[in-house]
Amino acid sequence: MMAPFYELGRFGDSTGLVIAVLLGIAFGWFLEQGGMGNARKLSGQFYLTDLSVLKLMFSAILTAMLGLFWLSWAGLLDLSRVYVPETFVAPQLVGGLVFGVGFVVGGLCPGTSCVAAATGRRDGFALIAGMLAGVFVFGEAFPVIGGFANSTARGAWTLPQALGLSHGTVVGIIVAAALGAFAGAEWLERRAERPARSTRVGV
Amino acid sequence: MTVDARRRPGVERGLAITAIVGGALAVVAGAPTRATRGNIDVSELARIVEHEEDHITAVELAKWIRDDKTGLRVMDIRSDTEFTDFHIPGATRVPLAEIARMRLDSAATYVLYSEGGTHAAQGWFLMRARGVRNVFFLRGGLYEWVEQIMNPHVASNTPQAQRDSIRALTMWFGGKMEVVDSTTTPSVLDRELSAPHSAATAESIRKIRRRAC
Amino acid sequence: MSDLATAAPGQTLGSAVAHVAAEAATVPRTRVRREPAPYSSPYLAGVGVGIVLLLAFVLMGRGLGASGAFSSVVAAAVETAAPTHAAGNAFYTQYLGNGGASPLEDWLVFEIIGVVIGGLASGLLTGRVRWTTEHGPAITSRRRLANAFVGGTVMGIGAKLARGCTSGLGLTGGATLSVGSWLFIIAAFAGAYAAAPLLRKAWR
Repeated sequence: MMAPFYELGRFGDSTGLVIAVLLGIAFGWFLEQGGMGNARKLSGQFYLTDLSVLKLMFSAILTAMLGLFWLSWAGLLDLSRVYVPETFVAPQLVGGLVFGVGFVVGGLCPGTSCVAAATGRRDGFALIAGMLAGVFVFGEAFPVIGGFANSTARGAWTLPQALGLSHGTVVGIIVAAALGAFAGAEWLERRAERPARSTRVGV
Repeated sequence: MTVDARRRPGVERGLAITAIVGGALAVVAGAPTRATRGNIDVSELARIVEHEEDHITAVELAKWIRDDKTGLRVMDIRSDTEFTDFHIPGATRVPLAEIARMRLDSAATYVLYSEGGTHAAQGWFLMRARGVRNVFFLRGGLYEWVEQIMNPHVASNTPQAQRDSIRALTMWFGGKMEVVDSTTTPSVLDRELSAPHSAATAESIRKIRRRAC
Repeated sequence: MSDLATAAPGQTLGSAVAHVAAEAATVPRTRVRREPAPYSSPYLAGVGVGIVLLLAFVLMGRGLGASGAFSSVVAAAVETAAPTHAAGNAFYTQYLGNGGASPLEDWLVFEIIGVVIGGLASGLLTGRVRWTTEHGPAITSRRRLANAFVGGTVMGIGAKLARGCTSGLGLTGGATLSVGSWLFIIAAFAGAYAAAPLLRKAWR
């Protein structure tokens, strides 16, 4: 097993931080290339005219998910040392809903707001300021909502464990679902273009 | 400003196909590990175990090490800290899980040991399942090694020549032989020598950290 | 282009350098742009993000994130401004390095710095940097900025409740098949689509 390199002690914390910057640069690069720094483009997702958010997000998930599976299978990556975000059922459901509402209002997410700000968008800066305020509000309210925030913890619970399916089966299902979603997205976008064309034909 | 996105249908289609293939094969593979399957001939292994051809004594191992036997691979299957504390000279640490993956040398003679010998015996089966024939384990484990090599207690009525050979072997490994009164110890010879427990032996054994076998 | 014919050798060299740099930036047009280039295919950009995410797993054993960086900034600010208050609040102590704070957080701050650099670089090379406000045609940019702030606040709360955002939970959790992350993804899309009709005026 060669990887994860940092977890296996191949290099130290400071190199890790350098890597953070480099990975961040590539991340920001591809987000901007995909138009994720543009709130108007992002909002198209929720009016079913431009589903780039879905396409980009799930293309990324598929790539990394398949990469993790096959690198592990090949014996190159020790999956047990890869960080799996912990599950807190209720807070993540509620937090997700809240986050989604904020996303439509704000038009950007935390990561893409930085890309927006980097390319000069004032709304990106405004959103970043809002995020900081929101975190602060949460922090101050923590003595009250901390209990809820820490409830229904399940640790590093994965879909294969929860569904009683093999890891590979879950991967296959997600690939199929994502590709289906992509096909649906293409159809929706083409449908969104059509009414414009037909109105042009009139008169 | 919203500008249209540039699309590359050919590349995208290629990616979609890669995803389909990758996903379908993942379903077939099931787990993200290459399972190592092994085969054992149960009756053959039972016969080997009954004939005690599966294990060697500490003295035999010590002689192999001292005589630099060709292709000898001594495998310590305990934990990292235990290995660092003390290990048989020339041994490498190979945890049981590694046995599934390790590269095998057909010309090698493998000897596994653990603290008491149980884990080493289990490792022996795993090695045999992988098709290795030249594999043994130290039945008494490190306890036996300490008893017979590092701190052997030899009855005083043992023949001089035998005592000399034991002492030579012990000193080669930096151990200390002790001669004990034959009236207090039974002079039963097990293979080459007998080593009843004494306080010193118990101390040496205590130094090997107690863990599950 | 005709200007090449009349340009001095230095200018030709300069434009040649820009040409090479832009080629390396995978943009088919040939210079640091003034007019915005079309966006890349979201699928290809997504695969790019996925490779970066995979690299993070391979190199660091962890995925990407974003909201954690915001938490670190807030926690650091509160600690500086009101240390006793911060020390008494479990949320801040979590991030302040003494109460078993995760060292993950600093990593995210550095990563976000990189995101800004990368986003700027991509924008420069494609002519998409512009000091402006993206807003729907029916509202003013002031209104948009207010919405952005409010939306950010709401997202900040949601992200802290869920312990992540679309990057940390959506991408990282999605790829590692974390149950809570997938619940978050579904809930986030649900919340957004539920609220979208109410926000139509802001975007269309």
